Amino acid sequence: MDQEPIFFHVDMDAFFAAVEQRDHPEYRGKCLIVGGTGPRSVASTCSYEARKFGVHSAMPMTQALRLCPQAIVVHGDMAKYHKVSRQIMGIFEQFSPDIVQVSIDEAFLDMTGTRRLYGLPRDAAMLLKRRVKEETQLTISVGIGPSKFIAKLASDYRKPDGLCRVSPGRETEFVDAIGLKKLWGIGKSTLDALARHHVSTTAQLREISLDTLRRLFGQAQGEYLYKVCRGIDPGIYSGEAKSHSISSEQTFPVDIGDEDILSQCLLQMSHEILARSLEEQVMARTVGVKIRFSDFTTISVQKTPTFPLYSAEQVYELAKELLLSKWKPGIPIRLLGVGLYQTYKGDAPMQEELFEDISKKQREIEKVVLKLNSKGREVLKATNMGGYVPSVGKRQKREGGAKGMSPSDVVEDP
Amino acid sequence: MKFVCEKNNLLKEITLALDFTSQRNSLSIVSNVLLENYDDKLTIKATDQKIGFSAEIQVKTVEAGSTTVFCDKLLGVLRTLPDGDVQFEEKDMKLVIRPIGQTIDFQLRTIEADKFPQLQIADESKYFSIPQSDFMEMINQTIFAISEDETRYFMNGVFFEHAPDCLTMVATDGRRLSIIRRKMMEQTAQFPSVIIPAKFLNLVKKMGTGEGTFELAVTETMIFARFEGHCIYSTLINGQFPNYKRVIPESQSFSCRVSIQEMLDALKRVSLFVENKSKRLIMDIESTGIMLSSEESDFGAAKEIIPCEYEGEPCKLSLNYTYLLSPLRVMEGDHFFLQFSGPTKAMTVKPDPERDYFHIVMPMQPQSN
Repeated sequence: MDQEPIFFHVDMDAFFAAVEQRDHPEYRGKCLIVGGTGPRSVASTCSYEARKFGVHSAMPMTQALRLCPQAIVVHGDMAKYHKVSRQIMGIFEQFSPDIVQVSIDEAFLDMTGTRRLYGLPRDAAMLLKRRVKEETQLTISVGIGPSKFIAKLASDYRKPDGLCRVSPGRETEFVDAIGLKKLWGIGKSTLDALARHHVSTTAQLREISLDTLRRLFGQAQGEYLYKVCRGIDPGIYSGEAKSHSISSEQTFPVDIGDEDILSQCLLQMSHEILARSLEEQVMARTVGVKIRFSDFTTISVQKTPTFPLYSAEQVYELAKELLLSKWKPGIPIRLLGVGLYQTYKGDAPMQEELFEDISKKQREIEKVVLKLNSKGREVLKATNMGGYVPSVGKRQKREGGAKGMSPSDVVEDP
Repeated sequence: MKFVCEKNNLLKEITLALDFTSQRNSLSIVSNVLLENYDDKLTIKATDQKIGFSAEIQVKTVEAGSTTVFCDKLLGVLRTLPDGDVQFEEKDMKLVIRPIGQTIDFQLRTIEADKFPQLQIADESKYFSIPQSDFMEMINQTIFAISEDETRYFMNGVFFEHAPDCLTMVATDGRRLSIIRRKMMEQTAQFPSVIIPAKFLNLVKKMGTGEGTFELAVTETMIFARFEGHCIYSTLINGQFPNYKRVIPESQSFSCRVSIQEMLDALKRVSLFVENKSKRLIMDIESTGIMLSSEESDFGAAKEIIPCEYEGEPCKLSLNYTYLLSPLRVMEGDHFFLQFSGPTKAMTVKPDPERDYFHIVMPMQPQSN
């Protein structure tokens, strides 16, 4: 029986930039940064050519251009990326019935028990890569592992256009090979703290007991460190959906405490999730925000307004309010997410309103934009553009990830 | 300051005054009640800066003066005292409370009276009278429809409007609306259209007896009511009330006549199985009767058929059952009309025979899936 768990983590290489380079041959082979151009804009995605200069996502645009002055900067076109993403996710769906899309450019595929269909995992991955390349001219990196965590690390191991498999039993070895510094979820401040305890390798980290780690780093982060250095999935993606939800989250390469940048992230994610809800023809009753601080403390707050949620602007307003209820500007955040919860099928709110709501009109506009885009036209709503400062950091989009948080999460409903 | 008064007389007023003090902070002057004692009269004043209260009772003034004490504690003291005369005396920033002929001695800290904020007063010419019964009925028929959502603050109160021969109150939460237009026997003074906070109206309901009259004064920013030795006021909600006239249907295609009591009883039963969040009730209206039903939930389902007089085509309506329940609870008479024009259009709920109030209810989506 072939029932040992096998997960693929698929990551589209420099997704936004790659799409632009595909559609604009003149950008190919050049340093390309997708992002806004305003004084406070941040780089969203940059081509591999630009990365050589040290540019990375979530970097303030001014800094990115200082490092790489010759870079071409283009405004992102979320609607287009969304469409391409749907296309690629469609290919994934043909390979596995169980896919968890964690962001616009990232997904987990549960490939457990598919050997009879696709042969060895590596062959299945090769086939997947080829299909994506043929249909979209884009490259993806695939990581194969016995858990989502290992698969995620593996996809990052040989980017771009990578393929890396970690066999069961070799997780520790693989974690050692990656090294503490590149281990997912260990940032600079954690590294510094570990260094103070003379820990600079995963092997050294394994020598510290769980109790000690908990004492030094707190419950949540202590357990996290204990698990990751052993190659055990810390459960970052172990969300089982209770009810259908639509959410999006971003882990920042560097922790962010700037209110403007975080607001921009919220706005963008609000637009993204509302667009997805329109596409899936669901309405949501509740908006939730997830915040993970530098020390891995994670808070989720939700609010169910009495008015129907028609538009991305409403989602954003509520999300902003929720963020500010749990966070003070300046305090660094490593992950920020927005979600729509308590969804129900339908295009209109369950309860009809007496008075015309301006948000209802906004929803109609968003619907029209979506329709036009699905017909191949590229339309972007002015408010999206105005507010659009492209994606910061890794975007993780979730389907049904209502609970996709670590056990230490605090759920409150103010 | 020193006076003697019957405990129950003071207890009654302090109980009322408490609702007008700020409950947040016991050290704040607005959590205190002001006692002014002159010429065998005690004036009791309370305000949280938004709403205000003043009342006057007969006492025996021994030494004139005024002071303030923490209202909540004073009330607590008065509640525990035996009936009879009580002597109140201010000494060294403390109010000494001694029931006559008892060995009880309370000392309540005071704050100087001159720190107490001035109460608002209305221009005498603005006052007009309205029967208490009318004003309270207007409140009763509308107040349940207001919105509790603070982001829709302009719906957190009842809209109050003056017309030459009648007064109108309207309340809405954006999904249903209740309106009453009461004809006035006497001319009322002109006043601007205002939004009265629910809290003030609840206080009027609580304090009013339903007999005699209220003296009302309404300005751009405040409303005042005087009755039975009390004067209370409130600041108004500053906002734009939605254009309610536009959403009242001029006519309805179908009308269905139902017993109020039968509907209330059926709602009580069927609502047990109605989903808690949406509160969606389904009504299948036919000439043979109305079937009320819940959607199938985790617990099960409920159905009930009640008689009705209806001659239109069979029709299925969905609505939040509380939007029907709350107006029916306060509706007079035996029967009501449920009038509608289609499953997605506003419905009208009105008593039969028609009175000066009715309710508009927006339905819910006929199907969830």
